[in-house]
Amino acid sequence: MNILVCMKQVPDPQASSSGTTVDSEAKKVIMPQGTPPVLNPYDENALEAALKIKDAQGAKVTVISAGKNMAKTVLRKSIAVGADDLILLEDAAFENMNSYETAHVLVAAIKEIGEYDLILCGRQAADTDAGQVGSGIASILNLPCVTAACKLDISDGKAMVQRVVSDGFEDVEAPLPAVITASSEIGEMRYPGVKEIMAAQKVRITSRKASDLGVDVSQLKKPNLVSLDSPPGRTTDCQMVEAETPEEAGADLAVKVRESQIL
Amino acid sequence: MALEDLRATVTRCSRCSYCKWIPFAHVKSWRFAKGCPSIEYNKFQSYSASGRLCASLSLLEERSSYFDEGLVDIVFKCMLDGCCDVACKINRYDFEPVEVMRQMRFKMIDNGCYPPQDMPLIDHLKKEDNMMMAAKADRANWAEGLGVKDLTEEKAEVVFHVGCRFSFDEELWRVPRTVVDLLNKAGVDFGILGKDENCCGGRVCDMGYRGEFIKYAENNIDAWKNAGVKTVVTGCSDCYHAFKRLYPEEMEFNFEVVHITEYIERLINEGKLKFTKEVPMTITYHDPCHLGRRGEAHVPWKGEQKKVRGHVLVWEPRRPRYNGAQGVYETPRNVLKSIPGVKLVEMERNREYAWCCGAGAGVRERYPDFSEWTAGERIEEAKASGAEAIVSACPHCERNFMDAVAEKNESLKVFDILDLVREAI
Repeated sequence: MNILVCMKQVPDPQASSSGTTVDSEAKKVIMPQGTPPVLNPYDENALEAALKIKDAQGAKVTVISAGKNMAKTVLRKSIAVGADDLILLEDAAFENMNSYETAHVLVAAIKEIGEYDLILCGRQAADTDAGQVGSGIASILNLPCVTAACKLDISDGKAMVQRVVSDGFEDVEAPLPAVITASSEIGEMRYPGVKEIMAAQKVRITSRKASDLGVDVSQLKKPNLVSLDSPPGRTTDCQMVEAETPEEAGADLAVKVRESQIL
Repeated sequence: MALEDLRATVTRCSRCSYCKWIPFAHVKSWRFAKGCPSIEYNKFQSYSASGRLCASLSLLEERSSYFDEGLVDIVFKCMLDGCCDVACKINRYDFEPVEVMRQMRFKMIDNGCYPPQDMPLIDHLKKEDNMMMAAKADRANWAEGLGVKDLTEEKAEVVFHVGCRFSFDEELWRVPRTVVDLLNKAGVDFGILGKDENCCGGRVCDMGYRGEFIKYAENNIDAWKNAGVKTVVTGCSDCYHAFKRLYPEEMEFNFEVVHITEYIERLINEGKLKFTKEVPMTITYHDPCHLGRRGEAHVPWKGEQKKVRGHVLVWEPRRPRYNGAQGVYETPRNVLKSIPGVKLVEMERNREYAWCCGAGAGVRERYPDFSEWTAGERIEEAKASGAEAIVSACPHCERNFMDAVAEKNESLKVFDILDLVREAI
């Protein structure tokens, strides 16, 4: 069984929010200096789902990632946890791609690989939160797509998927090959030891450029980012409720909350 | 100050190689004349401050890339101990080699180019708020049974920030326990943050992860504000450097920061602490880099660089100069000298030109062989001084020396100043 996992390198979503700024002119988010990029956490969940299938029934897990100046140390973490192959689609043209472009570039690589039974992605990226790439790939390849998976079982050429929906869970069956996007509930990615991390640095990885894939990103029709602004500033007014007993404090607090029309 | 703003340092280095040695006026023997462990161990120009300035110029001029093979090793295989900085500034008044190296690290980290062995350490830090790969819940185990005030529930004017190494290294627990005992005896109203204490972030900042450092600095300042703290006491030189220099550099900081040796000297001078027992021992004192040359207090400054006479670069107004002279050197020595029976002898390299212990800026975790070699060199120097024990004021130095002594099967003893203070009371 061949499983392809699409992974994205993103700015650390756990970075200090006070140190993170928005450059509206350049339409860019500026991270605090000295903050390394990380693997998109939902993509890590997708990789964990693939590795569980590999553990249970054997599979070849190939990770694909696209971008410019990619942090190989970070991406090789996928090999350290158990992926068999890492394909980097690296080109100056792949900088700041939107979901539509990314899906096309990934599809070009997927077509080149040719053999696949399952394509896994994260449900959305931690930087853009767009959640479009997985369904984009499925749409271009004309494959079934199940999003926000929290459980995944593969048997008899079918994927049994449990999805997270707003009021509970939904069980879906999809024929393979299919595209499935993983939610965090599917499981946190296993942690590699230092030995595995160091060994992963020596594994040969495959690099492909735009010209190798025959993709011209500039020719793709795409939505444009019109503007990017910082969220409006918040002011906090903290008033302490003083009372003799916790009960009185609770009652006073309830009155204050009602008076200020918060509730 | 961004790397681009340090172009003057980077371009004007004359490759004099002063950065590789201790200041020539202080050289007493060829054996202990070197100042930079990195160049001495790696024996290749790129591993000196001068070589790193060359590498950063190449990056600034885009002749090389942050992704180039080998650059990670050059940039990160260094303790940022700052001896190069001290020596360099004797010749070049306003050069900032350590700042250039810090900025290079930040840039490398931004690009995801860092030693892969950092990954478990940084991921663990994010989850458990410590640099020791230990569980956060165990952070206050050292204080069990001491009945120290918990500042998450009570208030006090003094917080004793224990630090990661002292909190989790059981062999060193005797030191923070002694601090508690001393502060109690002196009647100081103090407390600890217990299992909610966070890493200071200083070491992780030196490693290049400034983003993580900012988070911890903000958290610690908030916790101290909530507890009504005015003074921060620490026994760790890494934490001291973080609080004294890095925090005020990055954000508003209104706390008094005191290293435990300074606090003890204060108690001795006020007559609150008296030594009654003799500790007959010949010892030598190892200056921790982050308490000594890198422990100088931050001085607020805002200005710009100007050219005078067409080519001479000056800063207007005059910029504060960090050359190691204002570090904490005499205080620990004064404490040691006041202990009856202690005979203090100096190593050849001391104070602002002391040789590093080898543990700083993540080298112990990233390059253990290099770290151990560096500690071993200091052990040799301590032995040559005729001392029977090496005493320091930093848990990281002590742990590195303890490991090196054990590895080399040496008889030299390793102590914290607090060990001798405890014996003398």
